[in-house]
Amino acid sequence: MSLLDTPLIPTLTRALDLTSQRQTLVSQNIANVDTPGYHTRDIDFRQELQRALPDDEAVAAGPFVREVPGLIERPDGNNVSIDRESLLMAQNQLQFQTEIQLLHSEFNRLQLAINGGSGQ
Amino acid sequence: MSLFSLFQISGSALTAERLRAEVATSNLANSETTRTPEGGPYRRRMVLFQSQPGARFHLLLANSLGETSATVTGGVEADQVVDDPTPPLLRYEPGHPDADPSGYVAYPAINPVQEMVDLMGAERAYELNASAVQAAKQMIQQSLQILK
Repeated sequence: MSLLDTPLIPTLTRALDLTSQRQTLVSQNIANVDTPGYHTRDIDFRQELQRALPDDEAVAAGPFVREVPGLIERPDGNNVSIDRESLLMAQNQLQFQTEIQLLHSEFNRLQLAINGGSGQ
Repeated sequence: MSLFSLFQISGSALTAERLRAEVATSNLANSETTRTPEGGPYRRRMVLFQSQPGARFHLLLANSLGETSATVTGGVEADQVVDDPTPPLLRYEPGHPDADPSGYVAYPAINPVQEMVDLMGAERAYELNASAVQAAKQMIQQSLQILK
């Protein structure tokens, strides 16, 4: 642990990684909205974050990607729900923004400490 | 795995959906075409979509061992355009230059409603993928905020 490592920074880094990986999956699902036989894929964000936090190996291996159960399948075998994916995309985007803001404010706090509390 | 791979994924879908729209438009445009370079009436075309291999085990393993840096994107590809095997529609028009000896002209079996629905589907899917690109762009811009 270096001087500039606060407890929050690794957590936020992992969370940002996972959020962008989730966005990749959402994009994949949206890209395959017309592919016959394609099944929606996703990750369990909370579970993956808990798994990735203490363990660097788990981060290197990447998250478990699973097929989402309980979606209605069309006759061509595709079960991508446009509503689910659009909402998830919006939610994921806001989550990403939140994590970026938190990381930014964490760096601002460090800056404050470096300057001895005399502003930036 | 980076945010930039989102552009590849959504980009592949934009290409595929545009091809689908082009094929539907070409079907509509040729709904009365009785002469083609291959001979006979125009045949209705269809696009086959296939998902690109996503995160496959061997790719991930090779990547984590540092052997390759193969991209593990899972977009969509539509490289195959196939002919619809439905036989052409025969209409009795004895005066037509392309009529067969018994006076029937073979017209392509194209249903305009089906083509319009396909066109609308392609358009909506294109829109959806374009907004996914927009989202990716915004996320990259937001991550630049950390530097400020």
